[in-house]
Amino acid sequence: MTMTLSRTFPPSWLVVLPLLLLGWRLPAQVTELGQGAEQKFEVQLIWATNDKKSPNPKHKPVAPEIRKKLDELPLKWENYFEVNRKQFVMAKGGRSKADLSDKCSVEIKDLEGNQVEVTLFDKNGKAVFGRKQPLPQGEILLLSGNAPDKTAWFVAVKPTK
Amino acid sequence: MEMGDMKLEVQLKLQAYLDGELPDGEAQELAEYVARDADARALLTELKHTRAAVADYEADIKLPESREFYWSKIRREIQRLESVEPAAKPASLFLTLRRLLVPAGALAVLAIGVLITTQQISSQKVLNALETETAQADVFTYRDYDSGTTLVWLSYPAENSLADFSPTDTYQ
Amino acid sequence: MSEASLSSADDKSLVSAAKAGDMFAFEELVARHRDKIYARAYSMMRNEDEALDLSQEAWVKAWQRLKQFQGESSFGTWMTRIVINLCLDQLRRHKRQRAESIEALDEESGGVERQMPVVTVNPTERLERAELRQRIDQALNQLSYAHRTALVLHEFEHMEYKEIAKAMECSIGTVMSRLFYARRKMAVLLADLRKSE
Repeated sequence: MTMTLSRTFPPSWLVVLPLLLLGWRLPAQVTELGQGAEQKFEVQLIWATNDKKSPNPKHKPVAPEIRKKLDELPLKWENYFEVNRKQFVMAKGGRSKADLSDKCSVEIKDLEGNQVEVTLFDKNGKAVFGRKQPLPQGEILLLSGNAPDKTAWFVAVKPTK
Repeated sequence: MEMGDMKLEVQLKLQAYLDGELPDGEAQELAEYVARDADARALLTELKHTRAAVADYEADIKLPESREFYWSKIRREIQRLESVEPAAKPASLFLTLRRLLVPAGALAVLAIGVLITTQQISSQKVLNALETETAQADVFTYRDYDSGTTLVWLSYPAENSLADFSPTDTYQ
Repeated sequence: MSEASLSSADDKSLVSAAKAGDMFAFEELVARHRDKIYARAYSMMRNEDEALDLSQEAWVKAWQRLKQFQGESSFGTWMTRIVINLCLDQLRRHKRQRAESIEALDEESGGVERQMPVVTVNPTERLERAELRQRIDQALNQLSYAHRTALVLHEFEHMEYKEIAKAMECSIGTVMSRLFYARRKMAVLLADLRKSE
């Protein structure tokens, strides 16, 4: 077995292969370092319902990417409408707050080690819920609850580049 | 008060009397016996107390999950079973091509077995992924590791301060 | 059935709609009876996770068998019997895994409950509701499977001796003794006499 391997992969491959891998990974590393100065997040307020249309014509169905994630969850609603969408940009370790609706605003605080702290505020500006957890690129955090008439709301937070 | 002197048979009759399981004639006999025997009266009282003590026990037990999570698992299982059932029905073509399809059928059974097993594992994983947030009551966290999604559900009761918090309702 | 009318509809109408395939109607039935169904599973299993799984399994079975429900009893009663049967099956599986000899010994002797002094204290008078609930929890945990099941089926489900015998696959005499031992043991545990014994 050892003989076969040494014939198929001569010693020079053992040098070239790591170099190729490094060459492929290095630009990504540099890009990440370059982006270290600021953190970006996208936050969406979503309304879930079984009605096919939203009474508010401004509401559009959520993007396919988030729709797919919602469909994979054990949820009962058939339709999801985007109510509002906000981009958050902050310095590393900083925080940012924005209104999502008349009744809700959200604050995101960037923490060490890919962690974020997301806080929801009610219409009076009182913090009603907070959540701290790691949120690396590609992941999504959904804070959610019941809304009137058997509908639901979701605040979706995801890091962006 | 020791009960060793009273026969088990009598003790059980006392219980049956309490539970209304004695025929009328015997019930009358027991009533007379209870009236003249202090030990029997004491035992009957104890049995009554125990029955009364546990009577409302279940009324205080509440489901430890939100309505949505509880129902979603039921619905998913119903849908999963309903999607599996039609696949098990043999098609008419199977009858005419039975000889050719025997080996293929065996392979199909094997494949379905693998599929069902995979689905069960997946279903179990969904159940396992559900965990109760310990820091805050009425908050459930669901984590889907495959898609990197964390769902935090605020399942608050009406009396909770969160009850008025509904970010989307002004938009409906 | 529209969402608005779901909450005002009675169980019978919801069952009819669910039979016709209306899953929203069925969800409303689940919402109405979920606590009771879960509570029964918990009383019998003494384990939160198992009670959740079995109660959900009961709802799935109910959906599948809905057409068999002809309204001879209330929907709640029909559902409760489904979850009870599932719990009994599960408990039998547990029992097979336990040492049968210990169970049999407990069954035959009934422990020492028959000889125990009568408890003269009324636990409902002495204890607050929460404390009583806690003590009942502890006491139920200490009962054997057979004793607890007989007690639950009689006290909570109000089943007659013959019905319990059928469900537990034993004689009426066995049901009577199981129930008696269970009650006597509960009386002692609720009165907290065990410490002083």
